[in-house]
Amino acid sequence: MEHFRLFVLPFYAGAIFLLITLLFKYIYWFVGLSREQKRLFWRSLPTRATWKSILEIINESLLHRKIWRTNPLLGYMHTSFALGWFLLITVGWIETYVYFKGEGVPLYVDIFFSYYVHPIFERAFNFSLIKDALLLLILIGVGLALFKRIRSRVMGMKRTTKHMLGDRIALTALWLIFPARLLAESLTSAEVWRFGGYVWTLSENTQLIPPGIGCGSFLTGSLGQWLANFLPARIIEAQHIELGAWWIYSIALGVFFIALPFSRYMHIFTEMPLIFLRNAGLRASEKETTYDRFQIDACSRCGICIDPCQLQSGADIQGVQAVYFLRDRRYGRLTDAVADNCLMCGRCQQACPVGIEQNTLRLNSRAKRAYPDAPNRYAYIQGKDPSTGEGKVGYFAGCMTLLTPRILLAMEQIFAAAHETVWWADKNGGVCCGRPLKLAGEVDAARKMMNFNKELFQKHGITTLVTSCPICLKVFKEDYQLEGIEVLHHSEYIQRLLAEGRLHLHAGSETFTYHDPCELGRGGGIYDAPREVIAALGILKEPAETREHALCCGSSIANTAIDDEGQRRISGQVATALAATGATSIVTACPLCKKGIAREATIPVYDLAEIVARAI
Amino acid sequence: MTSWGYSISRPRSIDIDRNDMSYSKELLREYPELQTCIACGNCTAACTAANFTSFSLRKVHTLVRRGEYQGMAEELEKCMLCGKCRLACPRGINTRQIVLTIKKHLANRSR
Repeated sequence: MEHFRLFVLPFYAGAIFLLITLLFKYIYWFVGLSREQKRLFWRSLPTRATWKSILEIINESLLHRKIWRTNPLLGYMHTSFALGWFLLITVGWIETYVYFKGEGVPLYVDIFFSYYVHPIFERAFNFSLIKDALLLLILIGVGLALFKRIRSRVMGMKRTTKHMLGDRIALTALWLIFPARLLAESLTSAEVWRFGGYVWTLSENTQLIPPGIGCGSFLTGSLGQWLANFLPARIIEAQHIELGAWWIYSIALGVFFIALPFSRYMHIFTEMPLIFLRNAGLRASEKETTYDRFQIDACSRCGICIDPCQLQSGADIQGVQAVYFLRDRRYGRLTDAVADNCLMCGRCQQACPVGIEQNTLRLNSRAKRAYPDAPNRYAYIQGKDPSTGEGKVGYFAGCMTLLTPRILLAMEQIFAAAHETVWWADKNGGVCCGRPLKLAGEVDAARKMMNFNKELFQKHGITTLVTSCPICLKVFKEDYQLEGIEVLHHSEYIQRLLAEGRLHLHAGSETFTYHDPCELGRGGGIYDAPREVIAALGILKEPAETREHALCCGSSIANTAIDDEGQRRISGQVATALAATGATSIVTACPLCKKGIAREATIPVYDLAEIVARAI
Repeated sequence: MTSWGYSISRPRSIDIDRNDMSYSKELLREYPELQTCIACGNCTAACTAANFTSFSLRKVHTLVRRGEYQGMAEELEKCMLCGKCRLACPRGINTRQIVLTIKKHLANRSR
C-alpha cells in the first residue's frame, strides 16, 4: 500500500457504484421478463445467435458501422470514443500484465499506470506509443464532439438533441476525461524529464531514470518535454500541478461513472445485453415488458432520429421525436401529448443506429393508459354478416377504401376483367380491421374487431384475402393469424394477375411517380409489387426520398394529436417532393395516402387500382 | 284566466341554465376548433359503427357541448376509432382525439 495515493479514490467510488447499479438494473429487468422470453434467451445461448451477437457488438457497439453510413465524421466521433477508449483500457491491461509479468498489482496501478510506472520515452514501437496514438484518436473525437455543438450540419445533422442537466454533467465529465489524462501523463513526464525519476518494478531495486529522458511517447512525452522547459522548475518539483491533474482525471472518471446509469451514457453497456436478447428473438409487444427497459436505456439520444421526423421538418412540432419520447418514458414523465403525437411512419426507426422498436414502444405506452374494456363493448356487431357474394377470393375494402369509392369501383373492374368470383367482405360497410384502435392503445377493444372479421373470413371459406388498404393488410398479417388464408395487398394481387396473363393492360407513355405508403413499405416490406405494376402501364419516376426512406403523407391514423394544419403541412411537403419528379400524376397504394396527398397536390393523385382499371 | 295549453313541458325542455357546463367549457378551451363545428353530420354519415348501431358523433358532440353528459361515455364506446369522420369533416376537426378526450374525461368523472 506504500504506493497508494488518495487521488485514486474518486475513480474507485465511481467504478464500484457503476458496477453495482448496472448489475442491479440488468438482473432486475431480466428477472422481470416473462417465462417465455427467458426461455428464448437461454435456448439461444448455445446456438449461432451468440456468435451473431458478439459480431454485432463489435460492429455496432465498438465500430458503430451504421453511424458511419449516416455520416463519416459522425461515425468517426462515435468510433473514436467507443473503440478508442475500449482499446486504451485493453492495451493498458495488457501492458500492465506484460510489465509485471503476470504478477497481481492493485487496480489503481492499471488505471493510473503512467503515474506509477514511468515508462521510459524511447523512439521505439511500444505500449506507450500505442496508448498515445489511441489517446490522440479520442482527443480528435472530443474535438469533433465540441465542433458538433457549434456546427452540427457539417456532421450530417440539421438538428441535435436538446439535453437535460444530468446528461450535460455526464457529457462534461466524459469530455474532460481525455484532456485531463493527456495533461496528467504529460506533467508526470515533465517531472521525470526535468529531475529524473524511477521505473517502478516489483523487485526492490527500482531502475533510476536520469534527467533529460522523460517518459511516455510522442504525445505525452513530447508535451512533457515542452512543459518541462516551459514551466518553472520549482513548480514541477512541488508536484502540485501534476497531482492536481491526476486528481482531475480521477474525479472526471468518478463523476462520469456515477452519472452514467442515470444519463444517456447508459447506452454504452445496455446495448450489449439488448443485442443478445434481440438475437435470441425477443421483441417488444403491444403490452409493456421489462425487455422494453433494455431498449429504452440503450437509446444514446444521439438525435439521428430527429432529422427524419416530418413532424419536426414539416409541421414544426418539437419535443415529441423518438429520442424525447424514449427519454420521457425512461424517467417516468411521459405525457399523452408526447405519446400521441407520432405518425408511426417508421422513419426514425429506419434511421436508428441502435435498432430500437420505436413504434411498438410508443404503442405499448399508449396501451398502458387505456381503460379496461367493458365486456359488452361492441356487442352490437355480434352475429352480423355484412358480406355479399361468394368466392374463394375475398376482398376487404376497409374503412378508408369505402371512403374513396373510386378505388372500390376500380377493384370491381379489375376482378371482373380477370373473371374472378369474389366474396366482398365489406362492400356495403363492414367492421373496422381493428388497427386504428390498436394504434390508439385500445388493444383489447381491437381484439374484438379482429375476432369478428377473422370468424367472418373463416365462415366464408376464402383462401385468398385481398385488401387495398395497407393498414388492414398489416393487421391481417401480424395479428389475425389467418391460417390457410393468403393475405395479399391489391398491388401484389394485380402483379400476380399480370404475371399469370389473366389481366392485359394497355401500356402508355404517361409518367407516374410513386408514393410508398408507410404501412406498406417500411411497415410491410412491399416495395416492388406496385412499382412493377406501374412499369407495365407507363414510366415511373422515383422521388428523391423513396422506398425505405419515403416520406409520410401526414394523415396517418396513428397520430391522434396532430391538428389539421399540421397534417396539411406534411401533406404539402410530400406533395411538393412528388411533383418535383416532373411526373404528370402521383400514384400511391393506400386510400388514406391518396386522400392525404390529394389535399395539397397540384397534380392528380391516383390509387394503383385506378390507373390499372383505366388501362384495361 | 283562460288556459291555452301552452306551457313548458319539463321532460322535453332543455334548460342550459341548469346544465353543468363545466366540462363543456373545458373541452372548448382545449379544442377551440370545436366552435367551428357546423353540425353538418358528415361524421355520422361516414361512420363505420353507424352501419350497425345507432351511433352519432354529431349527437354526442351536441349533447356534451350543452352539458348533458349522461350516458355519453357509454355511447362513445361504440366508436371503432377508424378515423373516417376526421377525413369527412369539412372543418378539419380532429374527431378521433375528441372522442378519446371526452371518453377519458367522462370515465374519470364517473369514478
